[in-house]
Amino acid sequence: MLTYVIRRVLSTIPLLIGAMYLVHVGVSATSDPLASLRLCLPRCQEGYDRVVEIYELDRSIWVRPFAWFGDAIRGDFGKSEALGEPVGNVLLERGLNTAMMAIPAFLISALLAVLLSVYSARRQYSKTDYVLTGFSFLGLALPTFFVGLVLQVFWGVWFPQWTGMKPFYTGSMRTGSVLELLQSITLPVLTLVIVSVAAESRFGRANMLEIISSDYVRTARAKGLSESRVIWKHALRNAMIPLVTLWALDFAALLSGSVITETIFSWPGLGPAFVIALTKPDLDLVMGITILAAVIAIVFNLIADLLYGWLDPRIRFD
Amino acid sequence: MRQRMRFARLGAIVAAGALVLAACGGSDDETGSGSSGEGCGGSGTLVWAHEQEPGDLHLDDPENGLTITAWIRTGMWEGLFGVSSKTEFYPRLLAGEPEVVTADDGSVTVNYTLREGLKWSDGDDLTADDVKYTYDMVMAKDAADEYIYLLSDRTGLDTITAFTVTSPTQFSVTWSAFFAGWKALFGEVHPMHVFPADPAEAAAAENDALRTWNQGGTVLPSSGPLVFSEWNKGVSMSLVCNPEYHGSTSPDAVNTGKALVDGVQINFVPDTDAQINALKSGEADIIMTQPQLAFEEFGTNEEFTVASSAGPVYEHWGLNLFNTHLKKPEVREALALAMDKGDVMEGLYTPLFGDSLPAEGLGNVYWMSNQGDYSDATTEAGYGQGDIAAAKAKLESAGYVLGDDGIYAHPTDGVLSLRVGTTGGNKLRELQQQLLQAKFKEAGIDIVIYNQPGGEYWGAQPFNEEALKCANSGGKEGDCNVWDIAQFAWVGGPWPGGQSGVLRTGSGNNIYGFANAEFDAKADECDATIDDAERAACYNELNLYAVTLQKDAQTGLFMLPITQKPSFYAVSATRLASFGVAPDANNAGPLLNVADFKKN
Repeated sequence: MLTYVIRRVLSTIPLLIGAMYLVHVGVSATSDPLASLRLCLPRCQEGYDRVVEIYELDRSIWVRPFAWFGDAIRGDFGKSEALGEPVGNVLLERGLNTAMMAIPAFLISALLAVLLSVYSARRQYSKTDYVLTGFSFLGLALPTFFVGLVLQVFWGVWFPQWTGMKPFYTGSMRTGSVLELLQSITLPVLTLVIVSVAAESRFGRANMLEIISSDYVRTARAKGLSESRVIWKHALRNAMIPLVTLWALDFAALLSGSVITETIFSWPGLGPAFVIALTKPDLDLVMGITILAAVIAIVFNLIADLLYGWLDPRIRFD
Repeated sequence: MRQRMRFARLGAIVAAGALVLAACGGSDDETGSGSSGEGCGGSGTLVWAHEQEPGDLHLDDPENGLTITAWIRTGMWEGLFGVSSKTEFYPRLLAGEPEVVTADDGSVTVNYTLREGLKWSDGDDLTADDVKYTYDMVMAKDAADEYIYLLSDRTGLDTITAFTVTSPTQFSVTWSAFFAGWKALFGEVHPMHVFPADPAEAAAAENDALRTWNQGGTVLPSSGPLVFSEWNKGVSMSLVCNPEYHGSTSPDAVNTGKALVDGVQINFVPDTDAQINALKSGEADIIMTQPQLAFEEFGTNEEFTVASSAGPVYEHWGLNLFNTHLKKPEVREALALAMDKGDVMEGLYTPLFGDSLPAEGLGNVYWMSNQGDYSDATTEAGYGQGDIAAAKAKLESAGYVLGDDGIYAHPTDGVLSLRVGTTGGNKLRELQQQLLQAKFKEAGIDIVIYNQPGGEYWGAQPFNEEALKCANSGGKEGDCNVWDIAQFAWVGGPWPGGQSGVLRTGSGNNIYGFANAEFDAKADECDATIDDAERAACYNELNLYAVTLQKDAQTGLFMLPITQKPSFYAVSATRLASFGVAPDANNAGPLLNVADFKKN
């Protein structure tokens, strides 16, 4: 197991370096940090020269990534010119804000996905299954920004008009008290849950249907095990293996910043920071967020691989 | 059955949680109140939801060239002159119009008098020494060469030969020659007492302090109605009422005392739909969003008030004078004749903004339609009215022949097809392009829309290095075919002489390739004209070079002004008892007249 983990970690290093190189070259080739400065030349000549120096714009785009790598290895990810802070600080602060939203969203959607998968699979083609299937398709069809805006209008405008109560804030992270935080985090989390659970529950239902009609489940039932034991102990574990892959990808994506949800709810996470970085363009911040996203993706894929072995002991890490 | 019970229990827990939150939830008025200074406010905190967040508060940091930075600072630091909603100067920290004295050697001395009783928010007096300090600090170039560009433009300051403080409220400034933009100088006066006495050290200190609005652990004092309080990056910024504020002299201001609100909280809401929802849900009192998204909705709702005005930013089509077709004056004139600005106004702007913009569009690139000295030179020349027959006649006089496809072609220069580019994604501009494209097709001119994303457009098209080389070398160097027509905005203002900077021969911003020694001399003459009325008329003459062929029959008419960019804001009529003057005529944002905002 340890050898497997070490091998996996080592094998990701060239992948990470390659990805970083391509991102750096790609962003450099498609962005022009001097665009706005050209408008105020010659007044801004000194500023112009400064930006040329910061981003080494006088060098070839194929060579520029190496200087960035050199600094990054020493722990210096540069300074975000767009946000006026070191990239390390931005990643930490914004990353924590994103995690604050992503972790509950992931846990709730994972839990709901499992429950709904089991329920729908056990009562296939029942009225409830049709209703849940309908909602899942609706969740899959609706774009995230639409779900977010509808929740804002419903809870921020309509519900207070009908009831005189306004339980949730429709935007901005508020940290005045735990209650305020809950009030401001609920709608973005709900948006992510609605979008995530739709896909996960469909996926889980399909897996569960396949498993509960397999021979070993029939054998378990024939042995006289209770239905709940058959489902929750024997069937679910196997049905979860493909779901774990999906969760690893989803959770990694959530932790890397949900651009749309965070933007709509003015949540100061990594998503809006990434948009700012790309539009400025702020190359150091783009690189910082990209490397973080890459590391998170690699780590969660590794965790998913390890979970396969726990869920199904037949899987070996040779 | 047990399964159902579990689901029921889960549902009950979720419902109970929701009810607990609902019961303890926010009040209807989410905009609450904040702490206020003595004699300040009392009507609560004004919440402004805005899409942009500055990287820092360093106004001239080229990496932070966001309008919001200036808008925030205008509520905190005042200058000698302010700009009214008519885009005209008014004495802000000054007691009145200064005296201008000319000497025989051509030098000009202005004698200023500050208002009595001016104070910084920390209680220190604001005096003429603060103005002198601002000048010295900005001019400390040699000692602070590496960052001084951040602090201020030195145009007009670099020809000052003497700066004499005669009393705490009186000082004189002498220029070697008249500088027409003298009222635009000292738009902010900096607090001398919190920075080092040595100008170079002060410049270094300010370079750091302006980023966080903090010097040595203390918030920078304000001379405006608001004082910086707190900045929660990515979320909001709070400004509180200045208890020492000396009051506004703006001709637009109704309240000339301290702010009526306890402070302003700026919530950074990047999504425009979310801004609208914030206003509707009571989490914001004011928004300045894309007007086309919200204007109609709020304009018909009694709970909200919308206001719009003609701002100093104007849209135009700039023509590349080195393009094979556009180098012919007949082709440029055909474009000017065929362009139907009334159609654009009627289709896009008038339904939203009513009569705040002229129905015939803009006809001047020096003076804007809301300024007293504006004259519509393009309408007078018969341009901008969709005169298709006249446009065709012009093209035919230049040897163009109408093809079977309805597009003109020149025997040697080929089909009259021109690319127009702008920053992609700007819906209003794109619709404008499409409307004009249809009209030009009627005139036999093929317009190809060639937009690129905002960040890329400038460097790829009008400000492309090779294109600028072409423009500045008279077409001898670089690449003259990078772009044909550029659609973008320039910013006007109360002193339009700055506009000449983009039209002078060889100027770095002269993308058009216009080079006319007579124009350059005239621009110098205008800027040297002391009499305001004469100078205004002189700028109107300069305008004729850019938008008509009257002054330069060969290379004139290379700018086709379309319209001023309207500015707009929506406020909650139920939560605000009063609000400041319509929005952004001076590009200063809603905080300029923040003292007029009052919450219910």
